[in-house]
Amino acid sequence: MSAPFRIDLRDVSTFPTRRDEAWRRSDLRRALPNPVEPAPDLARPSEGGPFAAVRAEETTFANGRLPDGGVFARLRLTDAPHRLRFVTSAEQGGWQAGVDVVVPAGVAATLLETYEGQGGYVGSVLLSFSLEAGASLERIVLMDEPSEAVSISASTVALGASARFAQTVVATGARLQRHETHLMHPGEAVTVRMDGLYLLSEARHADLTTVVVHEGGGGTSQVCKGVVTDRARAVFQGQIVVKPGADGTDARMRHDALLLSDTAEVDAKPELEIYADDVSCAHGNTVGALDDEALFYIASRGVPEAQARALLMQGFIGEVAERIAHEGAREVLAAFAAKRLEALT
Amino acid sequence: MAAVQQTLDAVKALEVDRYVHGFVTDIETEFAAKGLDADTVRFISAKKAEPKWMLDWRLEAFARWQAMEEPNWAKIGYPAIDYQNLYYYAAPKKKVLLDSLDQVDPELLATYAKLGIPLREQETLAGVKTAPRVAVDAVFDSVSVATTFKAELAKAGVLFMPISEALHEHPELVRKYLGSVVPVSDNYFACLNAAVFSDGSFVYIPPGVRCPMELSTYFRINAENTGQFERTLIIADRGSYVSYLEGCTAPMRDENQLHAAVVELVALEDSEIKYSTVQNWYPGDAEGRGGIYNFVTKRADCREARAKVSWTQVETGSAVTWKYPSCILRGDNSSGEFYSIAVTNGRQQADTGTKMIHLGKNTRSRIISKGISAGRSSNTYRGLVSSHRNAKGARNFTQCDSLLIGKECGAHTVPYVEAKNAHSVFEHEATTTRLSDDQLFYCQSRGLSTEESVALLVNGFVRDVLQELPMEFAVEAQKLVAVSLEGSVG
Repeated sequence: MSAPFRIDLRDVSTFPTRRDEAWRRSDLRRALPNPVEPAPDLARPSEGGPFAAVRAEETTFANGRLPDGGVFARLRLTDAPHRLRFVTSAEQGGWQAGVDVVVPAGVAATLLETYEGQGGYVGSVLLSFSLEAGASLERIVLMDEPSEAVSISASTVALGASARFAQTVVATGARLQRHETHLMHPGEAVTVRMDGLYLLSEARHADLTTVVVHEGGGGTSQVCKGVVTDRARAVFQGQIVVKPGADGTDARMRHDALLLSDTAEVDAKPELEIYADDVSCAHGNTVGALDDEALFYIASRGVPEAQARALLMQGFIGEVAERIAHEGAREVLAAFAAKRLEALT
Repeated sequence: MAAVQQTLDAVKALEVDRYVHGFVTDIETEFAAKGLDADTVRFISAKKAEPKWMLDWRLEAFARWQAMEEPNWAKIGYPAIDYQNLYYYAAPKKKVLLDSLDQVDPELLATYAKLGIPLREQETLAGVKTAPRVAVDAVFDSVSVATTFKAELAKAGVLFMPISEALHEHPELVRKYLGSVVPVSDNYFACLNAAVFSDGSFVYIPPGVRCPMELSTYFRINAENTGQFERTLIIADRGSYVSYLEGCTAPMRDENQLHAAVVELVALEDSEIKYSTVQNWYPGDAEGRGGIYNFVTKRADCREARAKVSWTQVETGSAVTWKYPSCILRGDNSSGEFYSIAVTNGRQQADTGTKMIHLGKNTRSRIISKGISAGRSSNTYRGLVSSHRNAKGARNFTQCDSLLIGKECGAHTVPYVEAKNAHSVFEHEATTTRLSDDQLFYCQSRGLSTEESVALLVNGFVRDVLQELPMEFAVEAQKLVAVSLEGSVG
């Protein structure tokens, strides 16, 4: 099965390079030519973070450390929302952490995962999700990090029968920022949503990579949108694999990107690998500028151009937030995206 | 048990009949010694009495090739190729003059007959005055032996000849353009080709000329164990137009054969090149043994403004296909098209697609790819669409559809999209489905057999591409697709 790279920040030889197909557009060894020293300890940050408005339990890693000094957390989620925060403040140095998340049978959980901080740190998190039969998880990830940071978050997801997994990742990029998800889809009435949104400016780099492996039938729906300006670079790699015997699979993938500057770049690779015949799989991918005709139409209605642009872009990225089921989280994300978008244009 | 035996026999019978082009013509062949070293390269060059610069070019390619590694990123698997266990040169001993049909080896004519080279070309070869106007440059085991219509083409100023001949007659053109689209060390197989290519076609269309007929080459692999390394170079000068057809068949044999051709197209200002391929090489037996390895590098360079190149391919043969006909859209307002049908059955593996590199302003490209996999085959579309910073107004539309017939085959889509400016629009769509039961049922309820129904539905599936083929080719291709899928359902 597909799996994330085992990266050890102390050993440069474990850093993937552009010679590794999965990291072709996000060369980690180029970003980090030397081994990374451990970041110093950090005082406990105050509770809350971007999702402070949502009442929830909280687990926070400060410079990669839990309150007890540990680097590995085990979470057993309940019906109440849970905040998982990675807060870093370090001019240099880095940390590695691991999180094991279990959603017990029948529980409908919400995880609000945030990456926050300041400085030129390096963060690397490996998460492993396990949903028991009939469990459901909505995972909202917000990566709002400084432009000098290098941040990698890789997760594996295992699903029990009739489980439901929904994920929305919002990334604003960093020197190198990558969010990668590997999901084994067992079929049997399991449904999966794998959404993403990136809003990039300056020389930021964001990489959203997903691999969904269908071992049985079932549905997967993926919508990823992005807006890129200045000298930023976005990478979208979405792979859907349908194994032999995974009949009845219904997988849809969409990736749409808006390029607002001639020095920005979008690299997309929506990939289908199919070994069963009773399936329905489709992917669509577009990269382009705002539609001149739509702009003209709105302008002809008396709306100033800047506002018309904002309106169109809101409409463009709106779909991602709309697909979030948890109301509080949806509102936070929609507001965050709107503000970020404003800064881009 | 009797029933099982009967089935086995039936399948065996099918296999023998299946590949109608599986025969070996007995013509004395002159081989270069088996194996590959600098002397082999010198031998080939000497055989062709090539100028010194050409030999140096080959030797340099050979030196580079030795330092390269075989690529392994494609979704294909095959036993390691022993490059020292191949013949790199085989030429028919009886040199056939080009102007007189009497001198054509009767065996060769018989081969054409068996090949079912569309009859009009047969007639042409037989000297029938009223034959339709298609020029054939038949590459029979590495050396072009017959070129027809030379006179008429010459009248239009079109040069159409084996590349070995062009080296002597028009060295300035060959030297200027050879390797200018596919550099010597572009990739492993192209580099090998540069070192040992034996022959191929050379076409030059002078400025403002619309080539008076469709040019056609029949590639044919014949001698046992001979890898075929063809090199095609087509240059369309300003404001010219040419349509080029390439069709392939090969005899049945036991050992895998290597085919590493290079095709280079150069389109200058306002010119248009239409390149159509029907590839039907031996795909191997039911277990995939003995089929052709087809590792081809095809690339077009739209070098100046408003040039246009259109690739159309129907790939039904070969055990392994590794082929990405590409367009470099360098000239402003130039455009590239890629229409492809890839059919795999049995144990065939195809990893094919295209590259559209947008460098000039307002460049446009269009990709329509239809993949059909049946049996235990694997069919991959792999494509790249990229735009450079200066390619303002670049436009691409890509549509890749895959059709799966059967439980054990695979269909993959691996598109790469790289956009580097805010004024290009790239769209990509892909779907993968199986043959619809409803449609099959409907056809059968109308009295069609399963096989006829499949043929009809598949035909509809690939129609967008078929219409891009020149008419006579389209008819053949349609039949070929149906034949390739025989026995895949039911």
